Amino acid sequence: MLVTVVGNYPKIPNLPRPARLRNAFARLDRGQITPEELAKVEDEVTIEVLKEQADAGVELLTDGQVRWFDEQTYIAGKLGGVEINGLIRFFDTNTYYREPIINGPVAWREPILIRDYAFARDNASRPVKPVLTGPYTLARLCRNDHYSSFEDVAFGLAEALNAEAKALAAEDPPLIQFNEPAITRHPEDARLAESIWRRLLSGLSGETAVSFYFGPPGDAVAAALNAGFTTVGVDTTIPGVLDAIAAGPKPPKLAAGIMDSRTTRLEDVDVLAGHVEAAAALAGSDNLYVNPNIGLEFLPREQAQAKLVRLVEGVNKARGGAK
Amino acid sequence: MSKGLLTTSVGSFGKPPYLAKARSDHAAGRISAEDLDKLTRQATQEIIDLQVELGLDILVHGEMERGDMVAYFAEHFPGMSIGGLVRSYGNRYYHKPVIHNELRWDGPYTVDMWKYAQSLTDRPVKGMLTGPYTMVDWAFEEYYPSRRDAVLAMARVVREETLALQDAGARYIQIDEPAASVRFDDIDLAAEAMGIVTEGVTAKTITHICYGDFAPVYDQLIRIPVDQFDLEMANSGYDLLDVMREKGFDKEVGLGVLDVHTHKVETVEEVVAGIKRALEFMPPERIYVDPDCGLKTRTWEESADKIRVMVEAVRRVKAEYAIE
Repeated sequence: MLVTVVGNYPKIPNLPRPARLRNAFARLDRGQITPEELAKVEDEVTIEVLKEQADAGVELLTDGQVRWFDEQTYIAGKLGGVEINGLIRFFDTNTYYREPIINGPVAWREPILIRDYAFARDNASRPVKPVLTGPYTLARLCRNDHYSSFEDVAFGLAEALNAEAKALAAEDPPLIQFNEPAITRHPEDARLAESIWRRLLSGLSGETAVSFYFGPPGDAVAAALNAGFTTVGVDTTIPGVLDAIAAGPKPPKLAAGIMDSRTTRLEDVDVLAGHVEAAAALAGSDNLYVNPNIGLEFLPREQAQAKLVRLVEGVNKARGGAK
Repeated sequence: MSKGLLTTSVGSFGKPPYLAKARSDHAAGRISAEDLDKLTRQATQEIIDLQVELGLDILVHGEMERGDMVAYFAEHFPGMSIGGLVRSYGNRYYHKPVIHNELRWDGPYTVDMWKYAQSLTDRPVKGMLTGPYTMVDWAFEEYYPSRRDAVLAMARVVREETLALQDAGARYIQIDEPAASVRFDDIDLAAEAMGIVTEGVTAKTITHICYGDFAPVYDQLIRIPVDQFDLEMANSGYDLLDVMREKGFDKEVGLGVLDVHTHKVETVEEVVAGIKRALEFMPPERIYVDPDCGLKTRTWEESADKIRVMVEAVRRVKAEYAIE
């Protein structure tokens, strides 16, 4: 059993700690620092965020997506055939992303995340995994001005992300994770998603994870397994989600989102331990990751940290009970 | 001769640079609350004067005293406070409010500024509130046993403020619910909460809803008990009018004809065409013409340029259709 996170992490702390990254962007806008100086601050904040996760007891870290302005454009904006448009609300959250517009054939041109991944790995006390937004979600949240169908957009993006994943695989990460929240809003697309994910995973041999959140995954779990994902992540705080997985084909590995990252309320340790035990009973504790249900960025930094600490308390309680 | 096509705006205007500076000076303790209030009132007077000069029929006070539509109330409602920073996009962050105790009303919180704005003009000024569903959805909720309990408790607080505005003489009270359209399962809850707010209220009640995909939830959405729905139309090519026409609509509409998210100014012809599409199936007295959303993100110059186009378009349509 390993404690991990889904992806993003709050970028700036609250007072009295200074909001270094926010200030650095403001100074860049005023021409007071160079882009290189900003990049240095991003690196330093990445190190800070890695350390905070590790200090809380997380065992498989991410770089916190410190350099990402949102979950779409950091990747989509570096692909050929994509331009970035105005702000749109991100699902039912009160946060926003810039809409990618597909205005030509989607093309992978160069590695997007390798430098970030390698930097995080080399500066962390624990293993780090790279996390990408998946092709189905990217396609859903794009505007298509080029292809004749949604399928073609999604296959184009799957091709491009396959190239990115292969480049990342050369760095030998413990696994490569794709976040696919959008499929939980379109359960009718599970079969289509399966063929998109086949394209995405083609030629990849290591551990590949897909993470579903913002709703129950429905048939997407079976679709992901058919497509070749080895690890499936779901939000087990939603009633019925674990039961649905128990009733279907068993994932080789399960990532259980046992804590709600959209509320500042601290869960009871016993409740968290109960979620861990239920997930372990289903997947076997050797095949289990435990994590918050979504990225931690919807919380203020201090609350994110406090909730991670609490999550680890719940895991430790369950581990104690398992002895 | 029929009447109608009154012009208005959705609520917020941008803060003039001197007020933005005064607000950060006040936050940093460099100027007093009295000094800030003086400048807030100055900006309110200027924005009222601008709306009169532009020829709008129903005015707003511009929300010069508010940081944002949820934070302002969170600062005042007992049981709520301002929490830590959360990112909304890129390098933009906001202090997300927290509900940490039982919600109560010890106001009024908006009546003074409304009275001040109304004292500056003979035209009606709208009272501006944020609806109970949005107040809860855009905050962290740590107190109530369920989301429903929190929303209904918030509704009772917003109702008190609504009644206070009505008692002060407000003829139009707008209770915005921009969050109501994003979570299909919760629309009935938003409607139930609005029912608590508006029950027995004799002032005209309006709600502004935005950012959503309305078509699939239209039937539920229009059950929200208000007299007028203020909806963005321009930024989606007036698609929603087709849904309203097909499924029926018997309330008043605030017809958003200006896309507030672009610098580009609409042409008079575009706005005329949009208004005519609404007139194809609604009488003019049930149509109010306004921008898609609050104009907070536009400068006053940009806002004025857009509103001038809107007012001119309404003038042309009224002349052509002989509307008073």
